[in-house]
Amino acid sequence: MTPFMLGRRGLRAALATSLLLAASGAPAQFNALRLLGSVNLGGPATAPSPGGASGGDLLQLLSQSLEQIDEPKEIEIGRQLAAVLLGSKPIHGDMALQAYVNRLGRWISLHSTRPNLPWAFVVIDDDGYNAFAAPGGFVFVTKGLVDRVRDEAELAGILAHEITHVTSKHHLVALRAKAQAGLLTQLVASQLRNNAGGWVSAQMLALGRNLYGSGLDQQDEFDADRNGIVLATRAGFDPYGLAAALQQLRTATPDDPLFALSLSTHPAPQLRLDRIELAMGSRLDGFAGQPPVPLALRLAR
Amino acid sequence: MIGAAIDRRKTPGHRWLAVSLLAWAGGALADGDPGVLRRAADLRATPSASAPSLASLPAQASVTRLAGREGAWIQVRTAAGQTGWLHLFDVGSPGAAGGTGSGAGQAASSGLRGLTNLFSRGSGAGGTTVATTTVGIRGLSAEDIANAQPDAAAVARMEGLRQSEAEARAFAASASLKSQTVEALPGPAATGAGPAGGSTP
Repeated sequence: MTPFMLGRRGLRAALATSLLLAASGAPAQFNALRLLGSVNLGGPATAPSPGGASGGDLLQLLSQSLEQIDEPKEIEIGRQLAAVLLGSKPIHGDMALQAYVNRLGRWISLHSTRPNLPWAFVVIDDDGYNAFAAPGGFVFVTKGLVDRVRDEAELAGILAHEITHVTSKHHLVALRAKAQAGLLTQLVASQLRNNAGGWVSAQMLALGRNLYGSGLDQQDEFDADRNGIVLATRAGFDPYGLAAALQQLRTATPDDPLFALSLSTHPAPQLRLDRIELAMGSRLDGFAGQPPVPLALRLAR
Repeated sequence: MIGAAIDRRKTPGHRWLAVSLLAWAGGALADGDPGVLRRAADLRATPSASAPSLASLPAQASVTRLAGREGAWIQVRTAAGQTGWLHLFDVGSPGAAGGTGSGAGQAASSGLRGLTNLFSRGSGAGGTTVATTTVGIRGLSAEDIANAQPDAAAVARMEGLRQSEAEARAFAASASLKSQTVEALPGPAATGAGPAGGSTP
């Protein structure tokens, strides 16, 4: 059931302890002059890096131009951000559900502008209602979201929204803006004490925490809604899936702790629905009307 | 929402308890959400704009969302106890910004409303107002992310979940999902330039 849960915390605790010891002696080295250089804190849990670039190198690229980030480097940035997200909550143990979400997401991704990215989807074990993505094809949904969608078209709409963030490189744009705004200097300085980085550089960890805690540009969210609806429709789903999911999100209040992060990092659901209505009109009604498919039907196979 | 205080980080037993409670909560949430009409609309007998009208409902009329949805149409019950169908864009939530619209004109007025309200609420940069309670069930918070330590092994496990293109196509075939040719929707600047035509299946 949860083989991968065992030892995770133990490993992490040991890692954190050793790295804290290593890092605590050298705070002065992390000054602004070195922020864009490679800061390798070392550590046993280094993962193979297909792009061959360290976090510091990737950060340097981000501070320059997006055109210089080729696909392997984009994927490596995504892997490092995925490590941060997966460090906040564990992977859910229902492997049948994980396989279903991956088949569903992979099918949708085949209709995207970047069908050959190594798309990977995961349900994280969290009661909240949220979804995330990272560059290079990483998409995350919470178990709380999966439990709350009424049908497959709603989940497809949400996955297509996240896939669109990836294909449009919205995260890279946001990271670059943060790096250029000098936010990086403050972030790293304020977070050094907590860093147990290893493979993920202190800078990337700081950026990842900031990015997923604050969210993307509002216009990027609206664009991902609009283009994600088209993507889900191209993959054969009811075009109203995302709108139906947002209707439900709208009924949640901002102080509901299950929806708090999702609401604080996105434009208000009603604003998103207004934009969606304006863009859709009745243009996609010819593709609508399939009977809703409950997830339970797919998972019972 | 659910009174029980559950620390979900303890044991697998606790986890499954939480999951089963959630499933129950999710089911309860799917039904009975209150709605308010954003503009005057007809309650339809079936999910179609050409279906017979059961009642003409004024803007701000209260309805209760039922479980049914077919495309853009959601099933509701009116305050008078009638059950029928409304277009989902016509139904807002009580108290939401822009929860009511003006008149029956569909897209044009709502679009303006969206533009003027863009920065009036929900910008939420920073996520500093996220609840930090540890009592009861709460979702992944900004605090969790601020404290996250990178988990490289979990990334490898996530990558191990990948399904191939062939597996995805086999799933789609078994689910009767078919690729469709769909034109892009107009962006904000292009909107209002007339009907986009849109291809048909």
